[in-house]
Amino acid sequence: MKGLLNLQKEFQNYVFKRGERMEREVVGTRRASARTRLGIYSSAYRLRLLEALDTDYPTLRALAGDDEFEKLGYGYIESHPSPYYNMRWYGGELAEFLKITPPYNKHPVLSEMAAFEWIMALAFDAPNDPVVTVEDMSKIPADVWPALVFTPHASLQRLNLEWNVPVFWKALDKKEQPEPPLKNEFPVGWVLWRRELNIYFRSMSVEEAWAIDAMRSGNTFAEICSGLCEWIDELQVAQHAAGMLKSWIAEGIIKEVVVPR
Amino acid sequence: MHGVSLSIGGTDALNRDYLKQLKALADKIEPKWISDHLCWTGVGGLNLHDLMPLPYTEEAVKHVVSRVKQVQDFLGRKILLENVSSYVTYKQSQLTEWEFLAHIAEQADCLILLDINNIYVSSFNHGFEPQEYLNGIPIERVQQFHLAGHQNCGNYIVDTHDHPIIDPVWALYEKALKRFGSVSTLIERDDNIPPLKELLAELDHARTIAEPILAKAKAA
Ligand SMILES: [Fe+2]
Repeated sequence: MKGLLNLQKEFQNYVFKRGERMEREVVGTRRASARTRLGIYSSAYRLRLLEALDTDYPTLRALAGDDEFEKLGYGYIESHPSPYYNMRWYGGELAEFLKITPPYNKHPVLSEMAAFEWIMALAFDAPNDPVVTVEDMSKIPADVWPALVFTPHASLQRLNLEWNVPVFWKALDKKEQPEPPLKNEFPVGWVLWRRELNIYFRSMSVEEAWAIDAMRSGNTFAEICSGLCEWIDELQVAQHAAGMLKSWIAEGIIKEVVVPR
Repeated sequence: MHGVSLSIGGTDALNRDYLKQLKALADKIEPKWISDHLCWTGVGGLNLHDLMPLPYTEEAVKHVVSRVKQVQDFLGRKILLENVSSYVTYKQSQLTEWEFLAHIAEQADCLILLDINNIYVSSFNHGFEPQEYLNGIPIERVQQFHLAGHQNCGNYIVDTHDHPIIDPVWALYEKALKRFGSVSTLIERDDNIPPLKELLAELDHARTIAEPILAKAKAA
């Protein structure tokens, strides 16, 4: 197996960075030299991974432009050999790559668009969870409300964005000419989820973003209410929180309400 | 069920996580066959997302046989191994590709998915006689055929599954039917997908080729 292992290492290295050693392992013919033959594998590798990025990030491509997208894509491919047996996950670090790698780090809008498109794909792939209905909620006795805990729908994703990239995404989706994304005055919280086969997303107020994060990390209704007091008057907070919860339920964001025993 | 990630010829340990998922899915949908490719996909925990060719050596036969046995033990059933298209011949190869495949199938007691287009592509790229390939494959192990289109780059052919099946591949399919008899056939088309009517016409063409051969075989 040693021979096989070395050959595979050598070939894999060739796919990543070429080199003459591997060329000596392979038969060249008049029709196609060893280099041409090996080259089929190394170019196919890059094209295949770029295609994977293309599938995940069509809006980033539109935003960056074809040339720039390919450049950043190949930059990612060179620095990110795939550890995944499922190519589905290959592009998952693109937002982070764009965030920290020059020159892209000077254009944070690129990283944010990548992050937005990635969570969209995650939401799309998420399991088909059931959702709680308003009717289910009406059956819960009032005295247990403070201790209620909520399980979010598997597709629920959260993101804070400094740039208004979802507007750009929407315009493209409607086949309109998109305006370049603008920078917000402050980071805006977004929530994104899937219902049936459709993806939904919307921005949130600061307090709602806080509340949804608290809900996702397993806080009780009472804990959410007390946290919300930072923004909302104590006398109205329970009603306000119940109102938010009602809209989450109507939107299909909540999978399950756990009633304490 | 047809996979690309088993890396049966890989030198990393078999991926238990992958195998568990494979088994769980198989338990759920109870497929007639589970197939993957006679290739490796990466080494050192990395994945090239490609069907990389193996050297046709006794060492590789032994290695693959032991892994096929492990996989079959784990899944509790036989798997099908598919021949891939390849673009390189290793200098260290001692066997022909069909000997390599046949030895593995016999020794590991696994089944074969014969990709007719891949035989054609590899025969063009490496200059062998495709009929000889067919003759070298044990009849009773072949459970399924694949047919597909490819891209001819002049000096070599790349297996792209994005074109109609070409006449020499249909001709080879006919020869395969004569040797292997009634074998389930699948047309692979991954890209540049034409209207359904054209795909159905290809399917009809496959049936038109198969019918007289299979009728004759039945009569005999
Ligand atoms: Fe195939």
